[in-house]
Amino acid sequence: MTMSKRLTFAGAAVAIALTATACGSSKKTEETTTTAAAVETTAAPETTAAETTAAPSNLSATLDASGSTFVKNFLEEGVSRFTAANSGVTINYAGGGSGKGRQDLADQIVAFAGTDSTIKDEDLPTFKGGDVLYFPAVVAPITVSFNVSGVDKLSLSPTTIAKIFQVQITKWNDAAIAAENPGVTLPDTDITVVHRSDSSGTTGNFTKFLDKAVGADAGAIWTLGTGSTVEWSPNTQAAEGNGGVAQLIAATDGAIGYVDFADAIKAGLKFAAVQNKAGKFVDATLEGASAAAAGATVKDNLTFSAVWAEGDAAYPITAQTWIIIYKNQTDKAKGEAVKALLNFLLTEGQTFAKDVNYAPLPAELATKAIAQLDAIVIPA
Amino acid sequence: MSTMMSDQSTAQVLEDLRPKRSWRQARSNIMVMLMGLAALVIVVPLVFVIGSVISRGAGVVFRDFPSFFTKKIPIKSEDIGPGMGPAIVGTMLITGFATLVAVPLGILGAVYLHEYGGTTKLSKLIRFLATVMTGVPSIVMGLFIYVIFTLRFGLSGVGGALALACLMLPVVIRATEEMLRLVPGNLREASYALGTSKSRTILTVVLPSALPGIVSGCLLAVARAAGETAPLLFTIGAARAVQGNIFKGANTALPAQIFENAKSLFPGAQERGWGAALTLVGIAFLFTLTARIVSSAYQKRR
Amino acid sequence: MTTEQHIDELPNLSGSSQRADKAFRWVSIGAGLIVLVILGLITYTMASRTGPVFRHMGFRFFTERRWAPPKEIYGALALMWGTLFTAIIALFIAVPISIGIALFVTQVAPAWLRKPMVYVMDLLAVIPSVVFGMWGVLVLARHIKGLYKWLHTTFDSWPILGSIFGKPQTRSFLTAGIILSIMVIPIITSLAREVFETTPQSEKEAALALGATRWEMIRGAVFPHSKGGLVGAVMLGLGRAMGETIAVALTIGSALGQLTFNVLAPGNSMPSLITAEWGEADALKKSALIAVAVTLFVITIIINVIATSVVQRSIKRSRGAV
Repeated sequence: MTMSKRLTFAGAAVAIALTATACGSSKKTEETTTTAAAVETTAAPETTAAETTAAPSNLSATLDASGSTFVKNFLEEGVSRFTAANSGVTINYAGGGSGKGRQDLADQIVAFAGTDSTIKDEDLPTFKGGDVLYFPAVVAPITVSFNVSGVDKLSLSPTTIAKIFQVQITKWNDAAIAAENPGVTLPDTDITVVHRSDSSGTTGNFTKFLDKAVGADAGAIWTLGTGSTVEWSPNTQAAEGNGGVAQLIAATDGAIGYVDFADAIKAGLKFAAVQNKAGKFVDATLEGASAAAAGATVKDNLTFSAVWAEGDAAYPITAQTWIIIYKNQTDKAKGEAVKALLNFLLTEGQTFAKDVNYAPLPAELATKAIAQLDAIVIPA
Repeated sequence: MSTMMSDQSTAQVLEDLRPKRSWRQARSNIMVMLMGLAALVIVVPLVFVIGSVISRGAGVVFRDFPSFFTKKIPIKSEDIGPGMGPAIVGTMLITGFATLVAVPLGILGAVYLHEYGGTTKLSKLIRFLATVMTGVPSIVMGLFIYVIFTLRFGLSGVGGALALACLMLPVVIRATEEMLRLVPGNLREASYALGTSKSRTILTVVLPSALPGIVSGCLLAVARAAGETAPLLFTIGAARAVQGNIFKGANTALPAQIFENAKSLFPGAQERGWGAALTLVGIAFLFTLTARIVSSAYQKRR
Repeated sequence: MTTEQHIDELPNLSGSSQRADKAFRWVSIGAGLIVLVILGLITYTMASRTGPVFRHMGFRFFTERRWAPPKEIYGALALMWGTLFTAIIALFIAVPISIGIALFVTQVAPAWLRKPMVYVMDLLAVIPSVVFGMWGVLVLARHIKGLYKWLHTTFDSWPILGSIFGKPQTRSFLTAGIILSIMVIPIITSLAREVFETTPQSEKEAALALGATRWEMIRGAVFPHSKGGLVGAVMLGLGRAMGETIAVALTIGSALGQLTFNVLAPGNSMPSLITAEWGEADALKKSALIAVAVTLFVITIIINVIATSVVQRSIKRSRGAV
């Protein structure tokens, strides 16, 4: 146990310098099929390497955090694995929403925050701790999930989705839906639109997709704009959180709603293939999300938008989450723990992301993010 | 003719009266039955709500007794299995600290109102505002503490406790003053006659004799505060391990966990939510019943 | 009171005890003043954070129906309506039941039944709001669909009821109102009980001696005595219902901009909006949410001030009458 623990620290430290190898080595802490002997041999040279770099040998800190609920399932998995290997670290991720996470970080209430969107320029001065670093964590599709008895597969264009969610199309056998789904027998059921009751980054990214695809500058079919809360028609239904939306869709025949991939899979929902920027209908898959991330333009601060990205294989409603922290950490123990956690998420995290239904970052982006770990300033 | 007439009318009156009387009686009976019905109707939601909480919560609470009360909350909300220990500890610490703040202040405030202020303008104003303050929505208290406390000192159990204390304070004041009013004046006079100072009289004679009533009032206030969710949402964060230090770092509490898990999709999390609800309702009932027992024992003694 | 003042003037025994006496007096005055301090601080600290939204919206904040963050339109009108509407629905259900129970307990029930009834109300009063909310959304909302559909189809063609029971949804004003009514019944009942108990026994007996039935006695002797107190009790219930957060947030359906009389439509209330929107709020929206909280605070305070003075006056009057 202690051995494997030491190995993780070693792996974590090395990863900063040797990305690729660390990726493999830190995996050993998990009970994988690798034998103990193999762990010993591959890990041995790295342990010495770790001793030369200033390794955080004894992580001990409590990190309070809040923010995006979109990334919550991934972070829960990551935190549970990370703290299993670093028993001195306690991490409390409160969720609450990306905006809450950003605000809490601005107010220095939390050590890190998860956010699905970037900080607005006018809000930057409110960040009391100075410069903020963005670390992309994962990307994932937002599904357009439905529950229509007798229908297993649906293909929908942004125009049709916009009209459905604005209650301009109210029946499942509407001509617009039928035209996009030849060969599917659509029932004469009323469409029940389900959306989030709480303001949310998922709503933000879903409406951003509609706004980019068919919004004010692209035909003006979507008129509700984009934001974490929009003015849904009262003839729609609302539920709390992704889980609540998934529950309500599952319980209502004729329902359609937007749900993050992980919750849609967990709830056993069916979801539609959505037409992307290249005009192709693409299923909501992790590969589609990774392709979208690869098609997005990444800025120097590692921000990007994977929504409505270029590429034939890109799933158009792909959202991303960043972990944001202050560049200048104020507490040594906390700073080191945050750094180790980020490194863990960017290396091993990328390999188990798929197990919890998130798509890993494109390799190039992950490398950039790992390199950015060096920019964190930790007080001596 | 006229006598006939009057006889007839008397008979008429008597005749009129008889069915009327029975109609009046019937109407009265109907109304009384409706009252009884109202009393029955209110038992229905109590039974339904408690029934749901027990039937869905008892399973997880007692499955692996007592690990539900002691184990950590799983980090992955997907995991099935027990663990509300940190929330139970959090609820006790946060409500306990709120009680430590609100009860002494509330009792002293009531002492001022009844023993010193009496009918002065200031005490009338405070009494009036204390009653008004019982109606301040709990979410407003939560935001208020967030603005003046959490933004400065970060997420902590104390923030939640202060919000709860603000909610409890007026309740304690009102309950205590009611009890002080019941203390007979001659008790005070007897004490003064022995040359005891006023503060001493209050501390050694008045308060002790009102104590059971005050205790029961405070217990009811605690029971209500323990179940408040809205003030905690902004102030305490979300710990999943036991956080013994309420002054620093995120904490958690049963109502916060119920709210969190009620929204979750995972059966494991929902089950924990019901378990937490059962625990919380259990705690609240325990306090209420203790309050009732204390006050009825007191009444018997009097 | 007069004896106490008298005793105050008596010479005290020793200087130190006099000092202790003074100190205690000041401490208790300080404790009393905390109520004023807290209410003042709430008003000041929160109001001072509403600047951005009032600079942006001006007075239109109170008259604008829409709440549209993407378009930076923040209006509280529909929220105020939603808050009032759910509270009124709750009272519509709760008031008759509460008065019924209070009358039953004070005027009708045999002595042995009174205590258990009070116990039941006590227990109901301490069930946490979040438990009601969870029950409302996971149990009630799922089983009430049939009733709502029936209400809608039955009254659809009726003149006024048709619009009150419009297109049904399970998370709606009515669902929130039902949950709220269960939560305010204990409050109104216990106040109503207190008020009914102030009726002088002599008047009740006089009514019965004149041949009045039980109901006539209640109408003729109990009600006139307690009218003011009842109004106050109902208003306190109203204030409580308007401030309730979690149970409403989970059941009201969170639809924005709803100005409707349709009880079966989804809507939103001020406290429920604050919890739902707080997570994703930038500076302007946060200020708007705090402004909503301040509005809620002021409204509930006004209602409570009126209610409290009505109750106090009526209790004083009936006590004076004895």
